[in-house]
Amino acid sequence: MRRERRSLVEVGLPVLVIAVLVLVLPLFIPAFVSSLVTKMMIYGLFGMSLNIIWGYAGIPSFGHAAFFGAGAYAAGILILRVGVSNFWLNMLLALVATAIIAAILGVPAFRVFGVGAGAANPIYFLLATIAFGELLSRLAIALRPVTGGSTGLSGIPEPDLGLGFEMTSGRYYYLVFVMLAVCIYIMYRIVNSHYGYALRGIHDNERRMQALGYNTWLYKYTSWIVAAVFGGVAGVLFAYYGGTLVPNNLAMVTSDIAFLLVIMGSTTTFFGPLVASVVYVGVEYLASLYLPDRWPLIFGFMFVLTIMFMPDGLGVWILRGWRRLIRGAAA
Amino acid sequence: MAPLLETRDVSVHFGGLAALSDVSFGIEPGERLALIGPNGAGKTTLFNVLTGQLRPSAGEVFFRDRDITHASVFARTHMGLARSFQITSLFPQQTVKVNALIALQGTKRRRYHPFRYLMKDKEMQAAAQELLEAHGLWDLREATVSALAYGLQRKLEIALSLASDPELLLLDEPSCGLTTTESAEITTLIKRLGSKITVLMIAHDMDLVFGVADRVILLHYGKIMCEGTCEEIRANQLVRDIYMGSRHAGPGLGKR
Repeated sequence: MRRERRSLVEVGLPVLVIAVLVLVLPLFIPAFVSSLVTKMMIYGLFGMSLNIIWGYAGIPSFGHAAFFGAGAYAAGILILRVGVSNFWLNMLLALVATAIIAAILGVPAFRVFGVGAGAANPIYFLLATIAFGELLSRLAIALRPVTGGSTGLSGIPEPDLGLGFEMTSGRYYYLVFVMLAVCIYIMYRIVNSHYGYALRGIHDNERRMQALGYNTWLYKYTSWIVAAVFGGVAGVLFAYYGGTLVPNNLAMVTSDIAFLLVIMGSTTTFFGPLVASVVYVGVEYLASLYLPDRWPLIFGFMFVLTIMFMPDGLGVWILRGWRRLIRGAAA
Repeated sequence: MAPLLETRDVSVHFGGLAALSDVSFGIEPGERLALIGPNGAGKTTLFNVLTGQLRPSAGEVFFRDRDITHASVFARTHMGLARSFQITSLFPQQTVKVNALIALQGTKRRRYHPFRYLMKDKEMQAAAQELLEAHGLWDLREATVSALAYGLQRKLEIALSLASDPELLLLDEPSCGLTTTESAEITTLIKRLGSKITVLMIAHDMDLVFGVADRVILLHYGKIMCEGTCEEIRANQLVRDIYMGSRHAGPGLGKR
């Protein structure tokens, strides 16, 4: 009972405060800043989706953009080439497409290259995940009539929610917020469920998990698809956000973002990548203003600085501080 | 009575090395069988064949008259086979309670449930409490396993193997690296297991072997050299020469 109340203050309070803050924020800030916050939310979701397999199941991936981009491209193609205008239907179909692609790529990833118990070396798996992203981006270049080739897709309109009002970028902010909130809730339930704890067990000790009766292959494979689908949600939101897609959205340069977010945010906290996303998008914006030619350097610096000064990640740092604050206040 | 577990001419070759050659033995329900032998005798290899981590190069393994030679590790656990590990094999970043919960749900259907909170599952919580209390670990339930003393980790190791409520328990050096007092506790624990559980264990600790086992098998260079009751083994000259070491100080010298 007392523990329940404590966790209510510890988890519920900050979530509520931040949610309210994000909701009222557009009233006080200029439109371009709320557009940045939209981007933070989208990238945050992208990072958190990678964290499901990396932080919880212990499966790192250098190719998570394959699913971000697959979701984005699927949405773009559905709108521009097929003519599906409804946002919800589009989201649903794009996620099904992403799940199918993940299910197909997951077979060689886990059966041939493998990661975890019984696999030769996780480096082969990592190389394979890079290859998946590059493969899909090459495919996006090659299938010019469908994907627009190397110039990509542009002119994706504002989403039609089918609720009878015009979508604007100001309103899109709220749509992204709602989608993010729903995804966070579902992901939170997943990582704290029976299934989620099995993933944590696989992270710690896969051989023991097998000896305890777990079909660990199935867990790894399904968590890969789950992570891909949430990455796909971020991708669809991104497609509507920018209105433009390029093959690089599927490739390593985009995977690196998710990778950085997880490292910077910490693999051991649920919300870490979301916090990292705030920092990342902020830095990215400032860099585009003041040092537009030096972006790769700055990006690299963020990696290095994180590993040097905050190897546990922002999430752990914040959690520690917050807990100390709570305990201090209670005592 | 038909043996619960039986191997027929099991051989394992690693390249040119014969780790096991033509090993055939059976274990009766309720029996306590100890597997002894010097380092490199093939004891752990045999365990890996029995649990499914390793496919034998030749021969078959039967469990309750079913051929399980090619069954996966987890499938065998669901049939009623469980094992502990020589090198402590736990979930170091999780708490003792989470370790128990993960172990307990391994053979339950709900282990796949993706939306229900594990921590709010009252039935599982009660089962975890029962398991941990039985092994004197309940008071340490919130401790992170990596911070636990080695002796306690060994206790948890055995507790986790019992979580699936197995018919056959395979213990790989349960008292490995423990002090005499701690290892006596393990001996008592194994003695206390009901007769519904059949135990096959690898042991170097002769106090444990003679205190618990009904029957002993001596493995040497991948072959069964002799088998018999504790008295027979104690009296056997071959065992003395190979294992106890007639010229050495006493048992347990080969302990890793």
